[in-house]
Amino acid sequence: MGRAEPASDGAVVRAVLAGDVEQFAVLVRRYRDRYARYAAHMLGSADAAEDAIQDALIRAFDQLKQCREPDRFAGWFFLILRNRCFAERRRGLREPRPLEDAQQVATSSDGPDGAVERFERRSALARALHVLTPEQREVFVLKHVEGLAYEEIAQRTGTTVASLKMRMHRAYDRLRDELEEHR
Amino acid sequence: MTWEFHPLVKRVLDGELTLGDLPLELRPEAEEALRMLAALDRTPVTLSPGLDVRVMETVRRRAGSPATARESFRAVRVWRWISAPRDVEIRLRVRPWAVGALAAAAALVLLLLARPNATPRGAPAAPTAASAEGSVLVRFVLFAPRAHRVAIAGTFNQWDREATLLAPAGTTGVWTTTLALAPGQHQYAFVVDGERWVTDPAAPAVDDGFGRRNSVVAVPGARAL
Repeated sequence: MGRAEPASDGAVVRAVLAGDVEQFAVLVRRYRDRYARYAAHMLGSADAAEDAIQDALIRAFDQLKQCREPDRFAGWFFLILRNRCFAERRRGLREPRPLEDAQQVATSSDGPDGAVERFERRSALARALHVLTPEQREVFVLKHVEGLAYEEIAQRTGTTVASLKMRMHRAYDRLRDELEEHR
Repeated sequence: MTWEFHPLVKRVLDGELTLGDLPLELRPEAEEALRMLAALDRTPVTLSPGLDVRVMETVRRRAGSPATARESFRAVRVWRWISAPRDVEIRLRVRPWAVGALAAAAALVLLLLARPNATPRGAPAAPTAASAEGSVLVRFVLFAPRAHRVAIAGTFNQWDREATLLAPAGTTGVWTTTLALAPGQHQYAFVVDGERWVTDPAAPAVDDGFGRRNSVVAVPGARAL
């Protein structure tokens, strides 16, 4: 006996819109972790990412009627989460604490094999990332943490490749400047 | 003093060039830049298992009580049963002259329906409404002379762009359909040739919050017509 194919996003969205609210749990399971790392890097901590993803999922449910291409729910949900992350960064409601988080890592992984140096470099970069604008930070995270190509980032964010590259190159310079200043 | 990477080094970071493509004097700078990227934390982030429960509790509250949700689900199942296609065999005994009379009557009806409407060629017509039992008949019109296929998708059909096609009115480039809509506000857009989303030029539009526009039709209660 073959296993049943999982329902497509489009089928699940249509079922929810038709009144089967419990089907929304399928989307929650499918998307709760997919963009967690992106949100954590955008907001500075896993806690902030969890709040943002929870809010974004609820907002997606509230606005599901506006999702006019249910088969592309993933991209639509990403935009909701992205708006939430940008809004929070701009409001500055939550100050990220990369150092505190990183210090715990140091005590557990410290050793003679260069771990301390790696840890210091990692926390310095984490600190430096917080001086970037949300737009610069986003392109940096999507390319170098999530491993997306410029074309994919352009498709997800509705921006041209040329302006993404410009943002990224400014981000490189700002990061270098910041890292040199605190060396 | 500000520190900037050389443009060629940035291209190495972008993955467009390798260290070997750079002149020797730029390689130390590029190596430093690559060390910077290597320090990035790429550890997967795991969220707490309670997130699913919290989201679903909120969702159920917003959708109504769990009992309401179960009733809606039951309604969905009934609707699925009613709307599922089934094979039905119908046998008819007819006299040949009756077929001719029926064909003439059908042609007359088609002729009446195909009469030029009040919409001048090229001018957008706002959705027009007429009362029907419990819902309101709303007529949608789009002038799209180059289109091969026009559909309408909206909140009333779960944005299904295959579900509701518009019919061409002769060769005028005008496409129309009439839908029975429940009173309230509905968002929609036309889908031309299966992929191009077009807002209704004759109706107000709202931003969907994600950089796109949806047309809006407000359907009054049948008594208000």
